[in-house]
Parts: sequence; C-alpha cells; structure tokens
Amino acid sequence: MPTALRSFALLVVAFLTTAAQAAPGPAASMVRISTTAQQPDYSVPWNPGNVGSGVGAGFVIEGKRIMTNAHVVSNATFITVVKEGDPTPWEARVLHVAHDCDLAILGVYDERFFEGTKPLEFGGIPALESTVSAYGYPIGGNRLSVTTGVVSRIDFQTYSHSEVDSHLAIQIDAAINPGNSGGPVMQDGKVVGVAFQGFSGAVAQNVGYMIPTPVVRRFLTDVEDGTYDRYMDLAATYFPMLNPAQRAALGVEEADTGVLIGSVFDSGSSAGKLQPGDVILSVDGLKVYSDGKIDLDGERTEMAEVFERKFKGDQVKLEVMRGGSKQDIALELDRPWPFEMQARSYDKRPRFVLVGGLLFQPLSRDFLDSQKDVDTRLRYFFDYYVTDHLYREYPEVIVLSEILKDPVNTYVAPFKGGIVEKINGQRIRSLQDVASAFGQPGEFHVIELLGEGRPIVLERSVLAEASERIRQRYGVTTEQNL
Amino acid sequence: MHLTRLSFLPGRSRWSRRTAAILAALLLSAPLGEGMETLRTYLPAAEATPTPADQAAPAAEVPPAMAPEAEPVMAKLPPVVRVNVASQSYNFSQPWRKNPPVLRQGLGVVLTDGRILVTAELVNNHTYVELEKPETALKAAAQVEVVDYDANLALLAAPAAEFLQSIGGARLDETAAVGDRVEILQLESNGTPVRTPATITTIEVGAYPVDENAFLVFKLSAPLQSRENSFTVPVFKEDRLVGLVMRYDPRSQTADVVPAPVIQHFLDAAERDPYAGFPRAGLTFADTRDPQLRRFAKLPEGTGGAYITKVLPGSPAAAAGLKVGDVLLRVDGQTIDQDGNYEDPRFGKISLAHYVSTVMQAGQKLPILVWRDGAEIPLEGTVAPRDRSRMVSQPYIFDAPPKFVIVGGLVFSELSRQYLREWGPNWTREAPLHLVYLDRYQNELPANRGKMVYVSSVLPGPNTVGYENLSYEVVEEVNGRPIKSLADLAAAVDSPTDQFHRIKLAEDPGLVVLDVEGSKAEEERIKRDYRLPSLRQLDGAE
Repeated sequence: MPTALRSFALLVVAFLTTAAQAAPGPAASMVRISTTAQQPDYSVPWNPGNVGSGVGAGFVIEGKRIMTNAHVVSNATFITVVKEGDPTPWEARVLHVAHDCDLAILGVYDERFFEGTKPLEFGGIPALESTVSAYGYPIGGNRLSVTTGVVSRIDFQTYSHSEVDSHLAIQIDAAINPGNSGGPVMQDGKVVGVAFQGFSGAVAQNVGYMIPTPVVRRFLTDVEDGTYDRYMDLAATYFPMLNPAQRAALGVEEADTGVLIGSVFDSGSSAGKLQPGDVILSVDGLKVYSDGKIDLDGERTEMAEVFERKFKGDQVKLEVMRGGSKQDIALELDRPWPFEMQARSYDKRPRFVLVGGLLFQPLSRDFLDSQKDVDTRLRYFFDYYVTDHLYREYPEVIVLSEILKDPVNTYVAPFKGGIVEKINGQRIRSLQDVASAFGQPGEFHVIELLGEGRPIVLERSVLAEASERIRQRYGVTTEQNL
Repeated sequence: MHLTRLSFLPGRSRWSRRTAAILAALLLSAPLGEGMETLRTYLPAAEATPTPADQAAPAAEVPPAMAPEAEPVMAKLPPVVRVNVASQSYNFSQPWRKNPPVLRQGLGVVLTDGRILVTAELVNNHTYVELEKPETALKAAAQVEVVDYDANLALLAAPAAEFLQSIGGARLDETAAVGDRVEILQLESNGTPVRTPATITTIEVGAYPVDENAFLVFKLSAPLQSRENSFTVPVFKEDRLVGLVMRYDPRSQTADVVPAPVIQHFLDAAERDPYAGFPRAGLTFADTRDPQLRRFAKLPEGTGGAYITKVLPGSPAAAAGLKVGDVLLRVDGQTIDQDGNYEDPRFGKISLAHYVSTVMQAGQKLPILVWRDGAEIPLEGTVAPRDRSRMVSQPYIFDAPPKFVIVGGLVFSELSRQYLREWGPNWTREAPLHLVYLDRYQNELPANRGKMVYVSSVLPGPNTVGYENLSYEVVEEVNGRPIKSLADLAAAVDSPTDQFHRIKLAEDPGLVVLDVEGSKAEEERIKRDYRLPSLRQLDGAE
C-alpha cells in the first residue's frame, strides 16, 4: 500500500448538535447527520465493540432521500438528521450503502421531515480551474459552512473508506475538513460532487477530494432495482505497452495502441476469456492507448472508466491481439471477488470459531489491523492473495489467531498466528470448513498448520468441560459466528 | 547553557592516542601498582601450572623453565595478537560494485601450533589481514586458512616463528561449566591487557550470527567495556581458552561466546581437506511435552522423544528413512528427552542439535531409534554437512562477488538472503515481501525449483522503454527455456529463437520482450557509460 493513501483522513467529526438557522445557497437541502456507531472488535470478536458518535453532512435528493458518504453512517446503530432552520432531530435509516465508492442513501422514518426541503439536482464534471463551493459542518460546527475553491485535478484515486477501490475523484482546493463529509459541492446551482476525503497532516495542504457525479449517478442507477451490486471489475491486470519490441513481438502494429494482460483471476469476469499475454486494443469500440487511456466524452481518461460505468451482467466488448491475430471477445462483468478480502468491511460482525480456547478467524484487512505482530507469512498471504492467486487454494485463509490460555491448550501457545491447513484430516478452505471439520467424530481433534510444526491435538473427552471453563473465564458470549 | 564538567575535560580529550599509550606504558614500567595486576602470566599450555584467576602472578614467580629466550616481561603476555582486517563487501543491489572498505580490529588467539583463531565475522570479505603484536606494534601480513561462517570461526596461518617469539600458545579449556568464573580479555590501545571477570550463567544451544545456525553457546554475565578491538574478544579460564565472544548486550551485560567444544570441532575438522565443517541431520523437531500429543502419538508414559516436524530432502535424515511424525527416542545411543535434549556428561541437558553438529564428525554413522505407529523402529544414517548447493536462497555470501547478468539494460540477480540484507537491519519488513517469503520458506518450494532469478534493477535506456518500473519480478522462462539459475538465463539469452528475447515473469506484467540487436547495442553503451568491466558475473558464490 503506498504510504500516501494511509494519510487520507475521512471527514467525520464527533460533536454535539443544536439548532441551526437558514443559510444561503442550498440551505434548504442541507442535512446534518449525527451517527452513533459501534465498531466491531476483531481482536475479541464476540465482544460488542466500541461505541462512538460522529457528525457528517448530507443533502436531500429527489424521492425523499438523503445522499451522504458511506463512512458517515457505517456500523451505525442510531442515526438522526437535522435540517437547516429546524431544531428537531429526526431518526433516519440507511436505505442503500456502497462501501466501495463511499456513498449512502438515507431515508427518514417520518417523511414529514422532507416538508420544506428542496431536492438538489446533479450536474456534470466541472471544468479544471472552475470555481466550486463545498457545503458542510466542518470541525463539528452547528452552522452551515461554505468554502470555495477551484477544481485542481480530475483523476483516479483510491477511496480510503475501503482502501482498495479506486474510482474517478476530483481534487479541489476548497478547504474540506472533517464534518464536510457527505456534503454537496455545488456549481451553478447543481451538485457536481460529494465531499469525502482529504489529506491530513503535513503531506499536502488545500487538497480535498469529492466524488464526481458519474460515480454518484452510477450508484443511484445501481440501486434502482432495490439492491446494490458493487462495482464491476475486469478481474485481470493490465499494463502499459510502451516498449516497441514488446509491441512488435506481440504483433501490435500501431505504435500507440494496446495494453498487456498480466494476470487473469479465476472466477472473475475475464476468467476463461482473457489470457495473460493478450493485448487489449479497444474497449467497446474505443481505442485503448498504450498507456492504458481512452478518449471518453471528450476526456482522455483511464480505460477502467468503461468498466466503472457498467453494472452487474452488462457486457463489454474487447478487441484483443492474441498470438498475432485479432479477436473480438465479449465479457459479462461481475464483482471483483478475490479483492474483497483486502477491503475494509462495514456493517458486519467479525466471523470466528472458538474451540477449546483456540480462536479461528478468516484473514481480512480488519482482522490484520487488529493484530499486534504479523509475521512474514501472514503479510505475504494478505498482500499477495490476489496477485499470486492464493485464493485458489485458500478461498478463505483461516488463521489460528488467539489462544485463550487454559489447561486444555497450555502447550499450544507457540502456534498463535499460524494458517490452518487441515483439521481432522479435512482440508480447510473456509470458516465453514472449520466448523464442520470439528464436527467429525473421533477421539482427538488434530489441527495442522501450514509449514513446519507438529500437529495440535485436543482430546475431545476434556473439551466440553474446558470450553465451559473458557466461556466463563474469558466472558465468551458466543463460540462462533459463521 | 550548562558548562558543568565540560570545562575540566578539554585537555584530556585532546590527548592523542599516542600520548595516552606512552603514559600507560610508563605506568606499566613501575615496579608496583595497578600495572602489575594486568601482567598475569599465560603459560604455554603444555607445561602449564594453572594460575588461579583471582591471584596476580608477579613476574618474579614465573618458573624459569616457562620463560622463553626473550626478556622476561614479554613472556608474560597473553597468547593473543591484534588482528587488523581491511574488508570490502559487495554491493548486492549494484552487483558490479564493491562497497567502501571498512577496517575491523579484533584479537586473535595464538594456538599452540602458532596458528591464530578469530571469529569468522572479523575476516569476512577481507581484502587484507594483518597481525600486530600488542606490545611492539610489529606487524605481519596473514592468510586466512580455514573459515566457517556457520560456526563463526576462522583460522589464520601461523606467522613466522620470530613474530610469535615471546607469545605463548593457548590450549582449549575442557572443564568450564555453569557457575565458573572466567575472564574476558581485551587490550588497551597501548597493548595493556584488560581482564574483565565474568561468570558462565548458561550453556545451551543458541543462535549464531548468520543464517539460523544453532550451536553450543556459553552465556556470560560480564560488565564489558567497549574497546577498539571489538571483533573477536577471547575468554579465558586461567590460561585456557574458553571461547570467543560473538555478541555482547550492554543493557543486560551478557556476552554470548563461541565455546571451546565448538572451536575444538572446528579445529579437528580443519585438519582434514577438504574442510567438511559441522554435520547436520537435516531435520527439525518439536517437543513432546503436551500430554494430549503424547496420547495421540501413543507415546508411552514417562518416556521422552522429539517429534519430527521436517525432514529436508536429500539430507542424512531423509536417507535414513526418517519421516515427519516420527518421534526420536535415541540417537547414537543417547536417550532423547521430551524437549529433544540428551544428557551431556559435562553440560547436562543439551539439545540434540549439539550432539549431531559438534560432538559428531561428518561421515560418522548415526544410529537412530524412532517411535512410529506405536512401535520402535531402528534406522541408520550418516551425518554430513549440509549441501548448500541444494538451497534455493543462500543464507549468506561472503568472499565472493554476487552473480548477475545484464541483458539490454535489465539487471538479473539470483535470490540470496545476502541480497535481502541490503535493506538493512529490518530487511524482513522492508525488502520485497515475496522475496523475503521465498527465502524464509524456501524449504516448502518444490525440490527441483532451482534458484530464483529476478529482475533486480533496470538501467534505463532506449531499449528498456516502458520497463523502468520493473522491480523484483521472478523470471520463469527466457526464450522458451525454464530458468532455474542465472547460468540458465545467460544460456537462454545466448540462443534467441528470433529477433526478440522473450522473458516470462512469474508476476505482473508477465511478459517482457527485448530486441536482440537493440539489446546488444545497449549492452555496449552500458559497458561504456557505466564503466562496467563485464555484463555478467556467473562464477560468484555458490
């Protein structure tokens, strides 16, 4: 992970709310969102988790809905919204949330909330150097704040909410601070973006990012059928082809055309259709330049933007050079499943199985962040999970993550942090496998970890008693969540 | 602004070393005083009457028979010489380069045959080794005869007899045990011996500096001061060599020592040509203390046994027929306890690893009794040093240049831990993770994997446009040939199938293509512009 990404700060801030008065501009559409959220505890997964609160911004859109950022309402247990000029907090709920593009749509239980509000309309992509205004409640203020700046850059950016997804984002130099999150960025009376992240610390100044309207519109369209399907992905890696010898050897004649397919991930959109070594010449009829760009709507932009705008089940037509001859290939787009392990997850309880004080958890970003010492093997399994195709053998990587010390497992302590290979002779490929393997009959449970090491043996005759003891001592409320 | 004591110090701190040496020498020549204490006799071992460590032996009490022809004062010198080493390591990131030379100083222990024992760390990558007599600063060039980096020991050829005149020879201690008082010997810059009393607190099998080598270690508790001869500091018990300090932790004031039994094995092995070194069984084991494991493995109550967790292919253990899951009960007649220890007559419970590597010599038969499927099974192997050529990634490379091949601006290297160490002390976190992983878990790779060849850097030019960002991708094939060594890669680029070199990578972008003619031209330019004598170094370290 490039370090720069780590310095992104999500723009939520914790503060109390009181009445606010009407303000100019889109004041009649502005919503101040207060969220109580419970963060899951991946190090003690049966724990209820830490409760905190935060404030963000939102705005009313057509259909009696409120648009905001996903990170404003993630893991929420209670949400209230307040509109400009009305001191009453109204209880709201999440209708749709898209963690991969940091957007959410809220509804309000009592629709009278929307009386007197004005839904905002969306505009297009603002021009570079044009002026935009960001509305929100930065640093927890009660009153609506407006900052103005110019559009500095339009480019693909990593969305730090999930840490793995990158989409189009617009950089603006208007001051954007915690509390601006989810607020509209306006130009000519229309929303041209949703403020969502910025740089914090000494890395950069006056760098704020907003989610541009193509991403917002895609989200709105995706949820029209009532569910959010996520972004679609080629599930293949591709690389610029700037070397003449590389192009010539692969039979590409045009000097400025084509990207090279490096890897194709199993079960993804491209599996069985694309091969490593293929050269993509065009996408949906648009020429792919050898730096991976295309001309789309008058802009030179990333080829990925074509896939970005599509939905589950949509087709994409590729012209591909393979073995010196051109082929037309049509793909049906699907979700990028192997990558989801590397994404931060929200609104989910940590999954685990606890047997005889031995805690088994699937490897994930949230899990890894909860661990103090991560050895080379686990780091490798996380970082190279997709690129080295580890997902083939390990649809889930199950880690013996903790040992709740008890007489039954007192010799097991050194095995903490190991990856589970087999339990009772059964190959472990998911947390479900762990639960079912422990259900096998026999005198002993035998757990084998990846690499050198002796098997871990638990005698079943003493296990029930030990489990009860461990539950009591360690305050374990439930022994599994699959 | 605090001046405090600083104002008293400048005069002293400006003393040159020379001045200090003269002053110290003056002190020594005084008939009485502190100097006398430091002039303890190291008698030639053959005829030695051990001098109690806690008693100073005044010069006059040296038996006349012990005094060599030279003046009596010289006869009381400890059997050590300074060893000054100029060392130049190779730069593994830019493998055609050597790093700037560094100078190291240590003490060499003069053995009874005149050869000089030092730690291997002192002489690694040496370009020049020099002996210096502590008192007179007389110098002589020296040759490294045998070096064993695993055991961290090296033997220098004996200098001319006159050089060693008046310096006795040390014999190895055969008695030191836990609780014994010993002395760590250092020299002041003027040659005055400094003896720091120490106590042996622990004797166990522990980590040695390179690789994951584990041999016998004596741990000493001692308030050691840092002196310039920091590499190789000998430890004596009376007049006998107990070992060489290889590590010192000033916070806990503990010193780890390469002890006499390991030195003795090294010296015995050095008598034979070729030097075979320390044998290994080629297995790893775990303890069998867990009663649940014992019942699962049907191990009888009250017995010992070490659970075999890995048998290296091609190793003596594999040849003997050992399998993962076997439990070692006896090795060469020694009963193995639940921790994998045997009962050593001198040191008590010591890991089996010591017995195989140090008590035994390479080539000896190794009778083994294992517990398998509820029955005792006798096996037999022959212990042998490890075959480093079978290793995917060499744990260390000294005294030899790194291998590399430059093809049209792409620099290819062969994976070694020495290369990864270029990332500094935190290399396991900072070096490319997949290479760290491949090195760390190389035993899990298929047995015929061969070496890992990868793109280590790019010297950008017209030929490598678009490849500037390649970094550490492992090479699978070149021109259709599988790559299991840099020699394979060199052979493959020497026989292109058409006008392109096709380099297939295990990682993205998967395929790199170079123009054959363009590469040749580029290689000429690189040779000229970067002033490289050669674009290939294939006969480096194995």
